[in-house]
Amino acid sequence: MQTLALLKGTLAVVLAGGEGQRLYPLTRDRAKPAVPFGGIYRIIDFTLSNCLNSGVRRMVVLSQYKSLSLNRHLSLGWNIFNPELGEFMEVIPPQQRTGARWYAGTADAIFQNIYTLEKIRPERVLVLSGDHIYRMDYLQMLSTHVEKDADLTISFLEVPKAEAGRFGVALVDNDDKVVAFVEKSDNPPEIPGRPGWCLASMGIYAFDTEILVRRVAEDSRKATAHDFGKNVIPDMLERGDRVFCHRFRGIQEPEGKAPYWRDIGLIDAYYDANMDLVDVVPALDLYNRDWPIRTYHEQVPPTKVVRGSNGKDGEVVSSLVADGCIISGGRVEHSVVSPLVTLMDGSVVKDSILMDRVTVGKGARVSKTILDKGVSIPDGVDVSEHKGRFTVSESGVVVIPKGTPPEVFLGR
Amino acid sequence: MARILVVEDEDNQRLLYRRELEDEGYEVVEASGGRQAVSLIEKGLRPDLVILDISMPDMDGIETLGKILSRDNSIPVILNTAYSTYKDNFMTWSADAYVVKSSDLTELKQKIDEVLKERSGK
Repeated sequence: MQTLALLKGTLAVVLAGGEGQRLYPLTRDRAKPAVPFGGIYRIIDFTLSNCLNSGVRRMVVLSQYKSLSLNRHLSLGWNIFNPELGEFMEVIPPQQRTGARWYAGTADAIFQNIYTLEKIRPERVLVLSGDHIYRMDYLQMLSTHVEKDADLTISFLEVPKAEAGRFGVALVDNDDKVVAFVEKSDNPPEIPGRPGWCLASMGIYAFDTEILVRRVAEDSRKATAHDFGKNVIPDMLERGDRVFCHRFRGIQEPEGKAPYWRDIGLIDAYYDANMDLVDVVPALDLYNRDWPIRTYHEQVPPTKVVRGSNGKDGEVVSSLVADGCIISGGRVEHSVVSPLVTLMDGSVVKDSILMDRVTVGKGARVSKTILDKGVSIPDGVDVSEHKGRFTVSESGVVVIPKGTPPEVFLGR
Repeated sequence: MARILVVEDEDNQRLLYRRELEDEGYEVVEASGGRQAVSLIEKGLRPDLVILDISMPDMDGIETLGKILSRDNSIPVILNTAYSTYKDNFMTWSADAYVVKSSDLTELKQKIDEVLKERSGK
């Protein structure tokens, strides 16, 4: 099939309704896909950029909880599609046409949007998640889907068996046809010819539209979790639908590094993925101009790193620093710093993530901490001495939520 | 004796269905439109099967289908319409069957029998 026809006949449905409870308090005021990432991005920018770069330019984003911040970001940053060329990106909140309820599961999110599919009538639907950090050419997957004449094609990541237990894992035959699919198993099937390795589902699906609609409509009539991995896919295999495996390759991944894909479920996963960007040879290269990740970025002046009134130079070491920051006699080390952050004299920020408009006062110390938007650390405060009042992740990352009053750190 | 809810805005058609289905030994409950049908379900009516017209003035059958199933997705529904065009409409695909209206109710009766048997088999 011609590439253009393949792309034009495809609708991407981006599931952006995740409540993200396990990312609390980063998700206290925003949906998971809208959580800031990597200094200037939001998590959803990766999936949307993948669509754009792959040439998939017809997409709907299914929002749900706390969507204000997501909507704002999408309307400011992603209002770039031209309906005259058949391109669009629509943000759809739950329409409740099939009942007054929120989405019960991934398959239910699609079921509740059957009207949208009826209206657009794409030939294929690409089901994507707004919670993943990765770079992927969906065209390769769509080509696999069409070549195999599949009803459903699932994108899989090759992972060591020890890590496979938290994923949906497929058993495939020699033609990469999926013959079994088990969700979160203690003994997941291995890849034929590659002992010790498994195919882990990334939750990325290419469906023939009619099959998708039939299967989610059938699933809607059953008492299930209405989830693709738990219910719909095992059911499709049982009834003999053609389900195929697409092996995820990433985009020009650095030599010797595995294709990069992260599901941002927990604070630690979020923290680690941010820190991955700081590596000298990052596992995820944002500087590859062949596959740009785009976002909304406010017009701000360049970052300035200057000597403070204490006579000490500002210092930035092994870090990502966005525009608009003033580092005046402070030191940033192994951190990700968003726009309009101010670091005052003698302050030290290490192993941390600072979101927009954070201020770190004179002599203050921030280590292994996420400072959400607008947080202000008063002069002389060592944040680690106050971590008892905040969310601390399993690996010890402290999260200071948006709107924390500076007085909290002053013992009042 | 299975109880069938007939949702149909045309009085004569409803009467015909009642007679024919009662002759078959079913108990028939009538609703003259989608709103009334949904309200009956909300009040606790649990028919063994619903026969649902699509083209109705107060609330069409497609919307009614969604509302009935969201209240109880185990109730079997047969869409029954004069038009075959809705058959391709994704919104009708969560129904258990689709029967085009005819003066001869043989096909409808067969479907009712099939759907009820399938349900009781589960």
